[in-house]
Amino acid sequence: MVQLIIRRIGMMILIMLVVALLLFLINEGDPRLIARSILGPYAQDQQLNAWVIENGYDRSVIVRYFEWIGRIFSGDLGDSVIYKRPVSEIFWDRLGNTGILAGVTFVIMVLIALTLGVLAGMKEGSLQDRAISVFSIITTSIPEYASAVFLVGIFVFWLGWLPGTSSMTSGFDPVQMILPVLVLTLYGFGYIARMTRASMAEVMTTPYIRTAVLKGLPYRHIILKHALRNALIAPFTVIMLQINWLLSGVVVTEFAFGYKGFGALLLEAALRRDIFVIEACGVAAVFVAVFTQTVGDLGYTYLNPRIRFK
Amino acid sequence: MKDRKVLSRDPRRYTLPSERALGAETHSYMPELCDQLRTGKINRRDFLRQAALLGMATGTVYAMADQLTGRGDVIGSAMADEMPKAGGTLRVSMRVQEMTDPATFPWTERSNVSRFMVEYLTRTGSDNVTVPYLASSWEASDDLATWVFHLNQGITWSNGDAFTSADVAHTVNRWLDPAVGSSNLGLFGAMVEEGEDGQPRGIPGAVEVIDDHTIQFNLKQPALAMPENFYNYPTAIVHRGFGVDYEADLSANPIGTGPFELAEYALGEVAILKRARDWWAGDFYLDEIHYFDHGEDTNAWIAALASQQVDMVFRLPNNLIDAAQALPFVDIHPVTTAQTAVMRFRITEAPFDNLKLRQAVAACMDHQEILDKAFQGRGQIAENHHVCPIHPEYAALPPLTRDVEKAKALLAEAGYADGITLEIANGDTEGPWMTDACAIFKNQAAPAGINIEINKMPANQYWEVWDKAPWGYTAWTHRPLGTMVLGLAYRKGVPWNEVAYDNPAFDAALDDAEGTLDVNERRKKMEVCQKLLQDDAIIPQPFWRSVYKAANKRVKGHQTHPTLYHQFHNVWLDG
Repeated sequence: MVQLIIRRIGMMILIMLVVALLLFLINEGDPRLIARSILGPYAQDQQLNAWVIENGYDRSVIVRYFEWIGRIFSGDLGDSVIYKRPVSEIFWDRLGNTGILAGVTFVIMVLIALTLGVLAGMKEGSLQDRAISVFSIITTSIPEYASAVFLVGIFVFWLGWLPGTSSMTSGFDPVQMILPVLVLTLYGFGYIARMTRASMAEVMTTPYIRTAVLKGLPYRHIILKHALRNALIAPFTVIMLQINWLLSGVVVTEFAFGYKGFGALLLEAALRRDIFVIEACGVAAVFVAVFTQTVGDLGYTYLNPRIRFK
Repeated sequence: MKDRKVLSRDPRRYTLPSERALGAETHSYMPELCDQLRTGKINRRDFLRQAALLGMATGTVYAMADQLTGRGDVIGSAMADEMPKAGGTLRVSMRVQEMTDPATFPWTERSNVSRFMVEYLTRTGSDNVTVPYLASSWEASDDLATWVFHLNQGITWSNGDAFTSADVAHTVNRWLDPAVGSSNLGLFGAMVEEGEDGQPRGIPGAVEVIDDHTIQFNLKQPALAMPENFYNYPTAIVHRGFGVDYEADLSANPIGTGPFELAEYALGEVAILKRARDWWAGDFYLDEIHYFDHGEDTNAWIAALASQQVDMVFRLPNNLIDAAQALPFVDIHPVTTAQTAVMRFRITEAPFDNLKLRQAVAACMDHQEILDKAFQGRGQIAENHHVCPIHPEYAALPPLTRDVEKAKALLAEAGYADGITLEIANGDTEGPWMTDACAIFKNQAAPAGINIEINKMPANQYWEVWDKAPWGYTAWTHRPLGTMVLGLAYRKGVPWNEVAYDNPAFDAALDDAEGTLDVNERRKKMEVCQKLLQDDAIIPQPFWRSVYKAANKRVKGHQTHPTLYHQFHNVWLDG
């Protein structure tokens, strides 16, 4: 197991380096593109060349790539073109804000999804199963920008119960979290619920559950003690993938509610070609994706004794 | 000094009580102006504007206008109906942008945060009339080529220094320095000459300090709108040490004459202003003003207003007016403006260097259809010359009509008998109606063989290319006089000349109009400018748009400014 972990971490680092290289090549591969994004699309060739030489971008890509990697490890993410200050000063705050939003959403979403998935999978084909399945398919089919408008229309304009934006500019306010968390939960829980339902339904048809039922064990005991553990193995990977989605997929929700998070920062940087912010956000997103995938693989291996990697 | 002698022979100040009585000492043009109001040749607003331009004290001007028109003290009685309450925090949803050098502000939003710290020589109100502010009064020579501004005494900067002419001189000289990159270089063209490198620069000696509280501007040509020009968003007066003794960054060095201090400032998030001292100009009811940045999504602005997280939004987009109207605790504040957007050509870039082609494109436009469909008719049609009917010097030209056959003929003359495909850059900088306008115009141009492709891009990206793209749809804000925007946008060599327009006949006609005080005479001269712009077909301009703002009903004393400037000195909160 230790060897597996070491191998997986090694693979994770390798993937990170390769993806970071791609990210770097896309953003900084052509030094003239950087100069153009900073000096403007109609800057003269002479100006572009002067900027490239002045800022050391005339050196080879590989040298600059490893320098960039070195700077990242030392915490230097470059300076933001928009904010006129080091990216690191903005980046960690925004990442933290998204971490709060994603964390709260994750806990609520997983609890609801697992509960509904188990309830649906317990009695496949029942009214309960169909109702839950239809509901989760509908909510997952509605994109966040649409559900955000619907929910604001209902809870802000019509009922007047909730704040319409979540900028937290007067300090953290849990009430402002409700709508963005609701939007993300409605969109995201369906995947986990459907996967849990399918897994639960499969487990419920296995011989050992049938045996337990025939032995006369209480139904609750069968579900909680025997079915649930095995039924949760398959959704585990999906749950881990949701963490990745919650970090990089919250752009729309953060935009709709004015939430000052990682997604909104990435969107603004992309719109204004703030390349050092784009790179920092890209590296963070890749790290979370690779990390959660690795944890998902390791966890799945641990939970499922039938799978062992050599 | 020669100009001072001219002034000293014929002093024209209107600040003493004895001078404020109707019929007492007045500017040589005042009797004529009074007569024009009395006989209905000009309206009350034009009278107020011109009298104020001549340096008349605000109260005197309004009283004189009321007496001449028999209105009585309408303003005073209206004000007496409500008793303002002091205190409270006004919360506004608005982008909180980078706020470094006021001279280079490209956006109204930036100046709205700074204007409660750094102030202006003059102030143009919601009624489009310009009145004294940091300047207590001003004098113009008869030829309008020499302007003397007298500054209020006893004003101090927030660091304790006295406000003097040196501050004004330093500020204006910075504007005229090409290295600063201020758009005011174009606005104050009468103080600008062509340098050895062919680029515009300030004329040495244009700014002359007379004494601690008197400053004179010596212009190379008459300029009508000097007081108006001193109230633009990049014309705030900064401390004499700004950019000299300390970095030219207002957010880092918020030294101002205003009553507020910048208590908190986080770019893209929040700006909190707290009243730190009494206002030298009188009462200021609000204790704090908070600006919250809710991002680019205008739905979020209205959602913030709906949930009473803010009391006011910076502007109300056209597509959200109905939603805001449905909120029982919200007032909609409309204002007729000269805000617009022009489908301007960069005429140094092919194929738009071809006059016939430009005229062909312009001939395809049905202005009314674009206004009705893209902006629900909330405005008035424009005429491709950037002078609005609400401008006092607007001259009515024969109406423009869509003529497809004429467009085809012009296109053939231009060398594109088989048609042409043109790309227009659009960033929806003022809202999605801009894309709608482009799409409607695309349909209007198609029958003439002109295929328009819309290059839709993010707003921020558009502002990177707004003055470079061969063809673009650029929004322009309101300015009180027609001469102002023409001087800023179409005079040769000025920074905001996105068209790259270079027409000596136009420049001469504009100079002539800017030197004419009589509005009827000026109108005749503006007609020449308008016709030149129309004939050169540089800016197909669909319409002028009305602007809307939404505020909670508890916000009292607020009037929407046509340029969305925040003037909160009369604003108070009820409850």
